Amino acid sequence: MPTALQTKLLPMASLGDDAQLIAYRESLSGSIPWLDAKRAEAWDAYQSLPMPTRKDEKWRFASRMAFDLANFRITDAPDNSTRQRAIDASNMMHQVSGRMVFTDNHLASFDPVDSDLEAKGVIFKPLLQAIHEHPDLIESRLFAEEAHLGSDKFLALHTALSHSGALVYVPKGVEIESPLMIYHWTTQEGVAVFPHTLVIAEEASSVHVVDIFQSLEPDLPAFCIAAGNLYAGPGSHVFRKCVQNWSHETISFQADATAARRDSTTQTLAVNLGGKRARFENQLRMTEPGSHATMYSLTVAQGDQEFDQRTFQSHEAPQAVSDLLYKNALLDRSRTIFSGMINVAPDAQQTDAYQTNRNLLLSPEADANSLPGLEIQANDVKCSHGATTGQLDPEELFYMLQRGIPKRTAQQLMVYGFFEDVLDKFEQEEIRDNVRKLVQSKFHL
Amino acid sequence: MANQLEIRNLNVTIGDKPILKDFSLSIPKGEVHALMGPNGTGKSTLAKVIAGHEDYTVQSGEVLVDGVNIIGMEPDEIARSGVFLAFQYPLEIPGVSIANFVRAALQARMEEGETFNAPAYYRSLYEKMDLLQIDRKFTARSVNEGFSGGEKKRCEILQMAMLDPKYCIMDETDSGLDIDALKIVANGVNLMRSPDRAFLVITHYQRLLDYIIPDKVHVMWDGRIVQSGNKDLALELESKGYNWVKEELATA
Amino acid sequence: MVQHTPIEVDREKGNFSYKTHYEYDAGVGLNEGVINYIADVKGEDDWIRQFRLKALDVFNRRAMPTHWATKDLENIDFAKIRYYLSKGQIPKRTWEEVPDEIKQTFERLGIPEQERKFLAGVEAQFDSEAAYSNIKADLEKQGVIFLGPNEGLKEHPDVFRKWFGKIIPTNDNKFSALNSAVFSGGSFIYVPPGVKVAQPLQAYFRINAESFGQFERTLIIADEGSEVTYMEGCTAPQFETSTIHSAVVELVAMKSAKIQYITVQNWSNNVFNLVTKRGLAHEESEIRWIDCNIGSRLTMKYPAVVLNGRKARGEVLSIALANDGQHQDTGAKMIHNADETSSNIISKSISIGNGRSSYRGLVHIPDHLRGCKNNTECDALLINTNSRTDTFPAITVRGNGNSVQHEASVSKLSAEQIFYMMQRGLSEGEAMSLSVNGFVNDLMKHFPMEYSVELKRLIDLEMEGSVG
Repeated sequence: MPTALQTKLLPMASLGDDAQLIAYRESLSGSIPWLDAKRAEAWDAYQSLPMPTRKDEKWRFASRMAFDLANFRITDAPDNSTRQRAIDASNMMHQVSGRMVFTDNHLASFDPVDSDLEAKGVIFKPLLQAIHEHPDLIESRLFAEEAHLGSDKFLALHTALSHSGALVYVPKGVEIESPLMIYHWTTQEGVAVFPHTLVIAEEASSVHVVDIFQSLEPDLPAFCIAAGNLYAGPGSHVFRKCVQNWSHETISFQADATAARRDSTTQTLAVNLGGKRARFENQLRMTEPGSHATMYSLTVAQGDQEFDQRTFQSHEAPQAVSDLLYKNALLDRSRTIFSGMINVAPDAQQTDAYQTNRNLLLSPEADANSLPGLEIQANDVKCSHGATTGQLDPEELFYMLQRGIPKRTAQQLMVYGFFEDVLDKFEQEEIRDNVRKLVQSKFHL
Repeated sequence: MANQLEIRNLNVTIGDKPILKDFSLSIPKGEVHALMGPNGTGKSTLAKVIAGHEDYTVQSGEVLVDGVNIIGMEPDEIARSGVFLAFQYPLEIPGVSIANFVRAALQARMEEGETFNAPAYYRSLYEKMDLLQIDRKFTARSVNEGFSGGEKKRCEILQMAMLDPKYCIMDETDSGLDIDALKIVANGVNLMRSPDRAFLVITHYQRLLDYIIPDKVHVMWDGRIVQSGNKDLALELESKGYNWVKEELATA
Repeated sequence: MVQHTPIEVDREKGNFSYKTHYEYDAGVGLNEGVINYIADVKGEDDWIRQFRLKALDVFNRRAMPTHWATKDLENIDFAKIRYYLSKGQIPKRTWEEVPDEIKQTFERLGIPEQERKFLAGVEAQFDSEAAYSNIKADLEKQGVIFLGPNEGLKEHPDVFRKWFGKIIPTNDNKFSALNSAVFSGGSFIYVPPGVKVAQPLQAYFRINAESFGQFERTLIIADEGSEVTYMEGCTAPQFETSTIHSAVVELVAMKSAKIQYITVQNWSNNVFNLVTKRGLAHEESEIRWIDCNIGSRLTMKYPAVVLNGRKARGEVLSIALANDGQHQDTGAKMIHNADETSSNIISKSISIGNGRSSYRGLVHIPDHLRGCKNNTECDALLINTNSRTDTFPAITVRGNGNSVQHEASVSKLSAEQIFYMMQRGLSEGEAMSLSVNGFVNDLMKHFPMEYSVELKRLIDLEMEGSVG
């Protein structure tokens, strides 16, 4: 285990104290000049960028940034028993190709890929280790994506400070069958975490990565800025799923980006359950012809949770297909915002691009906002978007009641049914069942 | 009276508009009654009112299931009391598989403490699916979603067979069926005929009654039954058309 | 794909100008002096003057909305525009009295002829003031009022002052403030309870002078159970310099009233058309905007309905055609503010050459409401490879039993379809026109006949230009 690399990190830095953060960032620096420069630049950007306000079109409908960064801090690793509890609970899936568990940014457990995959050149390593062992491999890809959807300030802080997470590198033609699982836990009160996932899939390779974000206690205050970057090489198959189940006292930002090259197949799937306010940005760039990308999301919003989702499907090359389906179910006084944009560049002819947002209002006080968008600059395209917001259909309910199913059960079945088409995208039964249970546990119909 | 479905002097409105006017009908267990009539005379309203649909207002009258008035009961209570409605337009329930749906309906009928016998359930489900010539793969498909008209109607009969009701109301089950599908559906129904069960078959056409032979035929007009008879009445109606009923009424 | 050669065909009808001598001219640029000049020549009450001056202050303070809208707005040079030009403030009641140099313009545009054929009343505005205004005698007898804002506010303050500037307050946006500062011309209409105006009332807005800005103001009040249809048309000659048209249109539909407001916008390519339109719909009333944008350099217009009474209904049906050098940035807003209100938006846009059409929408259903419905459909058709379209709706739904449905699609003209028609002997232009007309046909069915004929003709002319 690369614990030696972590010992020189400072034990604590408050997000409200710039001097402490600068010292912390400097403690991260080492022998890799390009990375040090990148982090320094990001820090400057973080300091100079203003806090977003609702007047910014990219933050339309979002609630005020009413949190105090000084309440959050970067911490040392938790004690052994806490660590062990997290490791034991990292059990969404058993048939895996590799597993990493992080607690409060610190690596707690690491099951590497088997020797066969290792021999083929597969790299599945904690970021801190990968930075030192494969700096050249990741130079052009690590922290390389900009946040176009509004979270540039938060992503800059992430870039300056992030060291937890994984590098996944799959060489040409290598196919990894079972998923690689990465668990991120928050365990200490007020902890700030910066999980990063970097997936580089070379030509005709295939890989499946799952990130699970969880808190050890349901009411643990925490702060997170996560980022996930996928580079899908020509003809590759890259699947990434995220299950965000932070405590309901967590402020969460996540900025993901996928770059899809020629004839690649990519899929991102986000299950959003936790957090007090959770902002999820997902951008897709289809840079070469023939790629096929799907983007799914499933959100259960309850209490006074706010889920703010911003997506961007950028068709920069012809003959690419993208399809987005974001589904939200809203309970209590919760809020959701979906803002999606499809952009088709002037030369991206024969584009097929779709975007669908479905909101199911299960409470009269819930608030669903939808901003679906199209910007089309090529003419030979098939593009559409659709957004619907409504309640459970009373006629469907009557039909079920007529079969003798009690009202509560019928409503539950309909709500669970609402999510099934997204849950179906979890190929492995074990994780699908576990996620389904997790989703269903959020309901108190 | 027990052992029958009895509708007594039922008056029903939608908004202010009267639909059923002093409607009365009794169907004893063991019998199949057909209710015929032109569109818009209140046949489907009757079916939905019995099932407890909230769009309709019962001004007066009773619907007695084995002597118990079900008016005012919740739709699921009515269903569990033994009334099954095969819908004219079955609803699609996205994301809910047929297997889970029927299972939930059966579980709702179980006594407290009773455990669900899954293997027996699947045996029974598959057996009935085979009979109705429904592909077994359909169990994993969402209820009615993407089904053809004929598949939807067969799925209704499948549910009817699985839930074992005492009183079956079939609302225009024949509409949209080709002759082969019609035969399959009729066969399924005929196998369910028993001294412990009664059927009310609502239809616009006589064709279905060639395959499900009714004990009695009633003709409905303007919210009430205007004529009753045996299966020959259906044939007479078919040859003379509904205008004949109108004229009969006019001269009566 | 079909090659594109730009031709300014549709401009031909309006692309002429006769030399005109103006008795009243507020000069170039925008300042308090201009405001006072306008108020003076109109002999306005002091409260209107103060209203204007306050609006000028708001206009000066408000930033251009370029954080969401196109940067092209920055190309408007407010200091180079003339804000008031007229030959007099009182419109004539007969065409005979209208000065020849103005009358010939409207005759060439066919206005007197249309009036005879199918209109209940006409107002013809020439630059800042109406040159002609008349309404059929029987309507006048029934109490229908059809005047300009000056006469309206002067002669019927009890009717109009209550609603003037209330539906669209001065500070609603930068351009509503601009209009409030320098407004002149437009229609003030009142329809008494129960009166159903069978034929449309029409206003025709003509810009004649170069570098002139037109700022008419319209207020239509349909009292309980009344019905009225209002049509507006507009043209301007093609000048080198850009100019601005910025109207404010307020509608009030009282209980069970129906207002239909129809626009055929065919400004020349040098006009910035920045218009604010909003209706207030009371219980069981209906407001329908039919909005067709064919001309202008940039149009920004999002007709709105505030659904304020139970079962009120709002509708926007719009067609936008963006040819070379044009940006049609249009849309609709539906603000639901009462139970069981419903709204419907259907928008069809066609982009030709490097033309760009954008749809912006807003649908708002707050949480205390029940049983509200909105349906939105946006379809865009792209003709050439460099054509462009955008869709930016914003939807907020809360509450009980409310449902919203939004769908948008983008498609191109089918090359196979064109080939098929050409094989039957149609020219490429005819085939494209037919195709485009087919695209908007289901929407045009909702339009009054005279209007759809005119629209078809304009589309035919536009399409001729897109074939090379």
